[in-house]
Amino acid sequence: MTSTSPSPRQGLPIRRILVISLATLVNLVLSIWMAQWSVDWLPVAASTAAPYVDGLFSLEVGIGCFIFVGCVGFILWSVLFSRADKYDESDGLPIEGNTRLEIAWTVIPFVVVMALAFYSIHVNEQLASLGPKTKYDLAVDQQPDAVAAADNLKDIGPIRVISRQWSWEFVYPDGVRSSELHLPVSQRANFQLSSEDVLHSFYVPAFRLKQDIIPGSVISYSITPTREGTYRLRDAMFSGAYFSSNQTHVIVESGEAYDQWLKKAASQPLVSGLSQATELYQQRLAKGDRGWATVPPAAPPMVNDPGHPDVLHDA
Amino acid sequence: MSTTASDLPLQHTPGHIKHDGHNLTGFVIFLCSESIIFLAFFAGFILLKLTAPEWLPKGVEGLETRMPLINTIVLVSSSFVAYFAERKLHQGNLWGFRLLWMLTMAMGCYFVYGQYVEWSELAFSLNSGVFGGTFYLLTGFHGLHVITGILLMALMLGRSFRPNNYAKGDMGVTSVSLFWHFVDVIWIILYVLIYVWQRSS
Amino acid sequence: MTINYDPRVLKAPHPVPGAPDNWKRFFSFNTDAKVIGIQYIGLSLFFLLVGGLLAMVMRGELITPASDLVDPTVYNGLYTMHGTVMLFLFLFPVLNGFNNLLIPTMIGAPDMAFPKLNAAAFWLVPVFAIVLMGSFFVPGGPASAGWWSYPPVSIQNPLGHFINGQFLWILAVALSGVSSIMGAINFVTTILRMRAPGMTLFRMPVFIWTAWAAQTLQLIGLPALTGGAIMLLFDLSFGTSFFQPEGGGDPVLYQHFFWFYSHPAVYVMVLPVFGIFSELITVYSRKPLFGYRFVALASFVITFLGLIVWVHHMFYSGTPQWMRNLFMVTTMLIAVPTGVKVFAWLGTLWGGKIRLTTPMLFVLGGLVNFIFGGITGVMLGTAPIDIHVGNTYFVVAHFHYIIFNTIGFGIFAGIYHWFPKFTGRMFYEGLGKVHFALTFIGATLNWLPLHWAGLMGMPRRVASYDPEFALWNVIASIGAFMLGVASIPFILNMVSSWARGAKAPPNPWRAIGLEWLLPSPPPAENFEDDIPTVISEPYGYGLGRPLVEDEDYYVRRAQEA
Ligand code: HEA
Ligand code: HEA
Ligand code: CUA
Ligand SMILES: [Cu+2]
Repeated sequence: MTSTSPSPRQGLPIRRILVISLATLVNLVLSIWMAQWSVDWLPVAASTAAPYVDGLFSLEVGIGCFIFVGCVGFILWSVLFSRADKYDESDGLPIEGNTRLEIAWTVIPFVVVMALAFYSIHVNEQLASLGPKTKYDLAVDQQPDAVAAADNLKDIGPIRVISRQWSWEFVYPDGVRSSELHLPVSQRANFQLSSEDVLHSFYVPAFRLKQDIIPGSVISYSITPTREGTYRLRDAMFSGAYFSSNQTHVIVESGEAYDQWLKKAASQPLVSGLSQATELYQQRLAKGDRGWATVPPAAPPMVNDPGHPDVLHDA
Repeated sequence: MSTTASDLPLQHTPGHIKHDGHNLTGFVIFLCSESIIFLAFFAGFILLKLTAPEWLPKGVEGLETRMPLINTIVLVSSSFVAYFAERKLHQGNLWGFRLLWMLTMAMGCYFVYGQYVEWSELAFSLNSGVFGGTFYLLTGFHGLHVITGILLMALMLGRSFRPNNYAKGDMGVTSVSLFWHFVDVIWIILYVLIYVWQRSS
Repeated sequence: MTINYDPRVLKAPHPVPGAPDNWKRFFSFNTDAKVIGIQYIGLSLFFLLVGGLLAMVMRGELITPASDLVDPTVYNGLYTMHGTVMLFLFLFPVLNGFNNLLIPTMIGAPDMAFPKLNAAAFWLVPVFAIVLMGSFFVPGGPASAGWWSYPPVSIQNPLGHFINGQFLWILAVALSGVSSIMGAINFVTTILRMRAPGMTLFRMPVFIWTAWAAQTLQLIGLPALTGGAIMLLFDLSFGTSFFQPEGGGDPVLYQHFFWFYSHPAVYVMVLPVFGIFSELITVYSRKPLFGYRFVALASFVITFLGLIVWVHHMFYSGTPQWMRNLFMVTTMLIAVPTGVKVFAWLGTLWGGKIRLTTPMLFVLGGLVNFIFGGITGVMLGTAPIDIHVGNTYFVVAHFHYIIFNTIGFGIFAGIYHWFPKFTGRMFYEGLGKVHFALTFIGATLNWLPLHWAGLMGMPRRVASYDPEFALWNVIASIGAFMLGVASIPFILNMVSSWARGAKAPPNPWRAIGLEWLLPSPPPAENFEDDIPTVISEPYGYGLGRPLVEDEDYYVRRAQEA
């Protein structure tokens, strides 16, 4: 670095304005491109909620990229062009502040984040209109359906989602039990989420929806899948030793396929459902129960359809 | 750089000049912080009471309020006694201070005793649902503070017999009496929450 | 090797930095804030290694999708202890170390307001460290419900023993809280009551402002955590049911207690680092801090806002809609005072005489990472997005971007910058730059890719994961191992510089500040009975104005020492 690098003060204002506008333009283009690209970073969108979330995310990536690149560009510029020479002991420009500038960079971010916040509230309300997510407290020995108001606009359900350490069980209104969640596409499904032991979380990344399941409460929860396929349902609230195995599939299929599945499942006898944790725990016991303490897994639920855990998933 | 450079060390500010009153500042900060634990417990109590599907354990009707009221009156009046004790100390009346101070301690002890009697007669335990849990937690945690207060007062009482104890001021007594008022105010809130509020729900 | 000691060093009533054969004082109950500061920093760096070692094992496990290196129960214990060790045994203690070194010297006080309390607060750290580390050896293993310790999973107590990992964890956290409160009372009292004459609030260095704001948060937040911890302990050990649904308790209530403290805690951690940034950027750009008063005041705006955003950790916990909306607004507001600081630093860089020394490199690297982590923070604060990425690696990446890639960087910067002042020795610039390069590259490789894993839906706290996340995790693990390697030049530098580095002059960076008017290392009571009178705002670079009355006298005195 040489100390003859142009001091920002010396440049012609017109040249400076030009450079700044050009930089801003480049940044703007880059940010818009990033915002568009960012949608690809998310799993396939498979519910009515997903487009809202993705749109908001893309918007924030754009704004975030603009701010980040702007700030980092500024830092790089300063580092490149305002370096001190090795033996230069002088001081920089003794600017102590600039009230107008300071007010500007307080007010502009304020406006930006408030606009963002209110737009997000708006999105939040729209998401809520896609189906309620309401928590009801349960007294001891009470049944979920006794307290949880069902969703009036639902097409199917309420499907009871029972979470345990560490397995999922889905109970359909006609009594069919299964280890994988089957849903008809484009129909609003209502769930009653409940837990038999600790906190779990009902998380389907492709649906962009996540809801903690709280023991002692039942949550009435509705979603509408929009794309056929096989998706992962992941427990997303740490629930103990085999938390990472507490996953299953969500199969979104056409209405007919769904009805067929229901009919077929109803005719099947109850068998032990999917519980990878049970297998892992057996392996551990066989190896001499080493490792740190854990509660044993709950017995696998008895279900009509234990599912096909080895099928590949879309997201 | 400096205009008054001289070779002689000037008379600058000595290091320990500004040390008076730190103890009181520190203690007040501590009390503010301590009050947040109680606030947290109170908030927890209110939330649990408002949302628990079942509040009172089976077979429990509620809390008896007369004995605790007497206890409350004793504790609250002891704050005034402590205040007068402090006044006496400022007036230089050492024995007056000691007597009133001992009276405060006695009233505190009476409160603890009353609390003990109440606890031993209750039909529910720490494990009787959230009601039992919050009751014993709040009263117990407060009781610990009362006992701490009495011990601190005993310490101050003992120290008052040391010659020249108050030569550097009576920060200790001020702090302890502040603590005592604090414990009192907490009790009033606690009493309202636990004993008075139960009827309205 | 012979060195000329400050004559006062040898006269002092108790051992002080720089005197011969005095390393023992760092292992004793010493009430000198500067000794305690170094004790804190030394101990906490040791625990950075411990926490880092745990992280290495975790990253080793996560390099493959299957849970094959350790049992899942062990993995759970590892990350729980990693988080706890890093926060309570590395980050808080190291910041208290800075507070001890810098508060008295920067405000011209001879010591802390309560030196004995100060030493006691420090010695509680090894005590709860032993409790926490001891939990590795109790039957059943250490706590393994995450550093949140959410009930009911945290109170399941599979073996039924009274002394169990979770019990010791609560005990350790409570003791840590006691120690922090003792520290906070001391720091706030010292700042309020022991400033040098003439040092009005708006003449305090920004580090003091941020330390004050941060310690205020400790005083308000910690008791709430302690309250929650007591209730958790009762549920775990004495059969109450505050958080047990069976007895009418509410698991979500615990989450409020926990985050009411633990959200503000993140600002307790980051605020002092903002202070360090402000001190260092001015020195190494040789410019006054742009908008000093705004930067100082913004600290308390952050304190205030920091207290009212905690529910953003609970957007998917079953919180009602109005709460989500409310806390979304407050969360986003925090970007404003934070932005004021960031822009002020940028303004300070502008047209400066920038010198890319090791500390400055860490500051600039940390600043870049902070802007990134702050922006992902705002995304998380957006409830609809958080509903998707909450509890995934996006969150883990967000907070490591701040907690290691910003705060860790800021701490390294601070250690390098003040190393000559408090040890009296210069460090090796070359090794420092190697340390920076390895750390920056390692940290980026480690945490940047994991954002994508999180966006694709990889949950956190998993010992095994679906194969589609493998690529991101391989890159991350390589980055993590690079961070492990990066600690070698750092340790080498610190140890060898302290043992045989060149003797440091009182003010090697030509910095403006009371601490630089003291000899290196400063004598036991700093300015002793000769406290300077402050006559101007800090950071007067290029303005040619003296900071204190009789500045020449103090400069000469420090040099002659
Ligand atoms: C240690 C420091 C630290 C800091 C400083 C922050 C800062 C912020 N954090 Fe972070 N956070 C953590 C540590 C930290 N965080 C930790 C440890 C967790 C997880 C704990 C756990 O779950 O285990 C977490 C988790 C976390 C969550 C919960 C996610 C979840 O669990 O689902 C959220 C949600 O809102 C959040 C938000 C924010 C926001 C909005 C900020 C803001 O303060 C950021 C503000 C900064 C900027 C925005 C950048 C600079 C500003 C500008 C350049 C101005 C212009 C900008 C705009 C207009 C946008 N954080
Ligand atoms: C100050 C806080 C802090 C710091 C500095 C770090 C630093 C690091 N963390 Fe930390 N982390 C947390 C706080 C912190 N973390 C918290 C609070 C959690 C949440 C816990 C929870 O969910 O409950 C977490 C969780 C967490 C996870 C998620 C676990 C999970 O959800 O399953 C991971 C995984 O990659 C991780 C990794 C790392 C790594 C690689 C580093 C590196 O930056 C570490 C670098 C440091 C070193 C490397 C030190 C030097 C090491 C050596 C000298 C040993 C040499 C050994 C070899 C080279 C083999 N951390
Ligand atoms: Cu402060 Cu002596
Ligand atoms: Cu937070």
